[in-house]
Amino acid sequence: MSILEIVIIALIKVAVVVGTMLVTVAYLVYFERKVSAWAQNRIGPNRVGWHGALQPFADLFKLVLKEDIVPDNADRKIHALAPVIALLVALSTYAVIPFGPDLQIGDYNISLIVADVNIGVLFILALTSLGVYALTLAGWSSGSKYSLLGGIRSSAQMISYEVSMGFSVAGVLLLSESLRPVAIVESQSGWMWNAIVQPIGFITFLVSAFAETNRLPFDLPEAEPELVGGFHTEYSSMKFAGFFLAEYANMIMASAFIATLYLGGWQIPYIEKLGLSPILETLLCFGGFLLKMAALLFFFLWVRWSLPRFRYDQLMNLGWKVMFPLSLINIIWVAVLIMIFGM
Amino acid sequence: MPNINLDGKTIEFKQGQTIIEAARDHGIEIPHFCWHPKLSVSGNCRICLVEVEKMPKLVIACSTLASEGMIVHTKNEKVVAAQNAVMEFLLINHPLDCPICDEAGECKLQDYAYKYSVGESRFVEEKVHKDKRVALGPRVMFDGERCISCSRCIRFCDEIAKDPELTFVKRGDRVTIVTYPGEEMDNPYSMNTIDICPVGALTSRDFRFKARVWDMSSTNSICIGCSRGCNTEIWVRNNEILRLVPRHNEDVNSYWMCDHGRLNTFKNVNADSRINSPQIRKDGQLIEKSWDEAVNEAVSKLKLFTKEQIAVIGSAYATCEDNYIIAKFAKTVLGTGNLDYIRHIDPSFADDILRTEDLTPNSLGAELAGIQPSKSGLDIQGILNAIKEKKIKALYLVEDDILEAFPEFENAIAGLELLIVHSTNHNRSTALADLIFPAATYVEKNGTFVNVSGVVQRIHPAISVVEQDRALDGMSMSRLDKFGTKWDRWAAGKKINALPTWKILTSVAKAMGSKIKFNMAEEIFAEMANSIDAFKNLDYDVIGELGAKVKSEISNNVKVS
Amino acid sequence: MEMETPTKRRRIKDLNFWEKIYVPEIIKGLALTFRTMFKPKFTMEYPEVKFEPTGSYRGRPVLVQEENGVERCVACGLCSRVCPALAIEVQAAETELEKERYPVKFEINMLRCIFCGFCEEVCPEEAIVMSKDYEMAFTNREDAIYGKDKLLIPVGKLQDRIGFLRQYK
Repeated sequence: MSILEIVIIALIKVAVVVGTMLVTVAYLVYFERKVSAWAQNRIGPNRVGWHGALQPFADLFKLVLKEDIVPDNADRKIHALAPVIALLVALSTYAVIPFGPDLQIGDYNISLIVADVNIGVLFILALTSLGVYALTLAGWSSGSKYSLLGGIRSSAQMISYEVSMGFSVAGVLLLSESLRPVAIVESQSGWMWNAIVQPIGFITFLVSAFAETNRLPFDLPEAEPELVGGFHTEYSSMKFAGFFLAEYANMIMASAFIATLYLGGWQIPYIEKLGLSPILETLLCFGGFLLKMAALLFFFLWVRWSLPRFRYDQLMNLGWKVMFPLSLINIIWVAVLIMIFGM
Repeated sequence: MPNINLDGKTIEFKQGQTIIEAARDHGIEIPHFCWHPKLSVSGNCRICLVEVEKMPKLVIACSTLASEGMIVHTKNEKVVAAQNAVMEFLLINHPLDCPICDEAGECKLQDYAYKYSVGESRFVEEKVHKDKRVALGPRVMFDGERCISCSRCIRFCDEIAKDPELTFVKRGDRVTIVTYPGEEMDNPYSMNTIDICPVGALTSRDFRFKARVWDMSSTNSICIGCSRGCNTEIWVRNNEILRLVPRHNEDVNSYWMCDHGRLNTFKNVNADSRINSPQIRKDGQLIEKSWDEAVNEAVSKLKLFTKEQIAVIGSAYATCEDNYIIAKFAKTVLGTGNLDYIRHIDPSFADDILRTEDLTPNSLGAELAGIQPSKSGLDIQGILNAIKEKKIKALYLVEDDILEAFPEFENAIAGLELLIVHSTNHNRSTALADLIFPAATYVEKNGTFVNVSGVVQRIHPAISVVEQDRALDGMSMSRLDKFGTKWDRWAAGKKINALPTWKILTSVAKAMGSKIKFNMAEEIFAEMANSIDAFKNLDYDVIGELGAKVKSEISNNVKVS
Repeated sequence: MEMETPTKRRRIKDLNFWEKIYVPEIIKGLALTFRTMFKPKFTMEYPEVKFEPTGSYRGRPVLVQEENGVERCVACGLCSRVCPALAIEVQAAETELEKERYPVKFEINMLRCIFCGFCEEVCPEEAIVMSKDYEMAFTNREDAIYGKDKLLIPVGKLQDRIGFLRQYK
């Protein structure tokens, strides 16, 4: 393949991933509202389009038309920059997620990943850490006490939970002996899903992922009752929409990452034994990956509408006194597996 | 002084006082319907029953003379039971139409029903029906069912108005009040019966159903109907005067005022003829202008005339403060001695009760404040003649209608080169004016009037003009004024763009380079107290709500008319 | 309604092991919401489906119009006086009818009204009652001031509320 072809294919992949992402985000918001309604014996949005299917676009349209209000004593540049960072970080991480095995179209062997880099996992961890800057800067630049408190909380929360997240991932890396997402997926062939092999790590990672995406019960940075929206109190119109989209993009990203690290990625156990054509198999695997993501996303929504928010001290307690030791135990467990059972 | 013992308290009384009077002098209220301090004792309502020790049964406090050593109980069990019984009797035939009745809210029967009655009636039969809506006279409406037959109105007509017109007819529960055959209740004081009626039997035809008393604010003021200066309360809702009622002042008007003052002295305030902005005549048409434009116009026009060509006419309708500034403006700013005011004398209006022949409230005050021609200056008649002879070419007329008073000079006044008028309403003089300043009426400003017997009395603003704010300017406020916003129709009453005469004149004087400067009427009065002997040692606090005498020898020397 | 008996407050030290590690409790909570998702919905799809209140409902206050077309109100102003939000303005005038007083102007500012029902409670004539009408929308402040034209409702349409009042007031 020539350089040109590689670039074109990469661009197409980027376009497809980003486009799909945005539509998915839109519908995730829709489903969030539906799930919340169902959990409360309500119907949910059902006015715009078939069963409210056009609701996300109505929402978006409304946000676009809204007046963009910037507080007088806000730092205008940073105020505008913060949502951009949030969106950028949220969308960039998709580059290293493998959505399926290689796809053979004619002469082209296309891998269903935008960039198959060796340090994929590190890349994701690094970018998600950058994401906290968006919230902190937003809180700082708004010139509002609520926003500032939200921003500070967000930093504290990210730092605390990144520790357990990192150690949980370490367990996965020990087993796969690679930082390449594709390699990690391939290391979980059959039923050797990391979720089954190292359940403690799975749970700590899952919980940390909730915290990293600011989803309930860990949405302290925006805690409406106490901080009236936290870091995005002073945001409106498309800037607010930026944060909003980023939050949901992060959620999808987190689901994809969890699926990759712990649920065998695109792999469907023993599908190769069915002897299907390679194209069909690839598509099935891709579908399997999407299914895993969808299940995780539903789990995200489900948890949000079931559990109440933590108090701040409870959040810190959980992060440092429970999640952190548990993730260390997980590493020991994985080490034991490797040393004694020679996995 | 002899003493009686009232509810365990020893109080002094004057010989000849009844128990109720002695108690009242010491601030103890014994309930009463028919008794009135200014009327004869009739003793028919029985609510003032008290127990006097060693007397065989309860006695009525209004007709029992106090005597040395009497021991009186007004609150013991027996008395309370008697009061309750009297209330029950009175309420037997009293209709339950408080929702319709204008008296509701200031009704003695209502108040006493709370204070002295247990609020239960054993009467289940049909109440007696009598005539409702009987017009006793042109100004008073009578409702026979509400009447509790206290006879206050009858005694008022007999004793105070000296014009017996009313009487009881029939007996028992059918008793009712009628005018004598062929007569109607039209004496000039008839509406006082509405005030003294303890229930809603007599109501004002003018005020009928206009407003609830609790929706209005009341402001102490002075009637401008004649030079008696009867003390009044102005009742206002939504920046509109709805009624005047007399205020008790023993030195001036006692409890009374005449119907003319009550009905005819405030109607102009909300009238359509009110002048709502300074106006300048351009090509025969009056054009509304801003205050600054009008003041500048006045200054540039006044400068065209010499001192001798200008005359100033003050007003016996304006306050002392206004007139003091008028005089000061004429003498120091314009430098003219042609200064006088118009007398409004009508001997046929006077009677020996309250009314005086002088129809203005403040002619004495105007003279004391300096509205007098200087030695070389012209008086009112001189000014008019000079106008006719075209010697005086500019006239500054304040708060009066010179054409109404001197219609024969219409052509002469029309021939003036400059006529500046301060006026509250459009009248015959403003029709000829070159420049009109809208003046605040007496209900829109602070100030003082000096009445016929030399009592200085305060007026207070009751209606807010554009420049005022009820809350910020300390005006009396009803509940609606307190809580209304500009979005509420019941709080968005019309405000006139007018100013007190002294304020207009100080700004004209300032524009002409004078140093006259006052921020409020009280400051003017303070200067008057310093510079005018008659007002020496007086200020607004000394005057208070009931007035104070000016130095008598001075007021006696001033002859009005 | 019966009062619930107050439960003794449980402290962390009173919790057993399973409760202390939260996980089973979290699963219980998740199970509850999951079950709820499949239960019937309560939502009424307004405006296709409308809520029909009972007599005890306090909708917008209205004036009772007798069968002969005359209002019961005598413009006593008690509703105006008792109204905690100062929503009611009444101007009385005289009529030739037996009840000599009537409201020439009766305005309720629906932006001020808080639907407390004090006006109805204080009314000596049963002339102002709370209706079942809850559909009020305005596009400007002037429209929100309801005059007699909007307030007068024939007595026949208010029987539910009047019956309720006679029973419980």
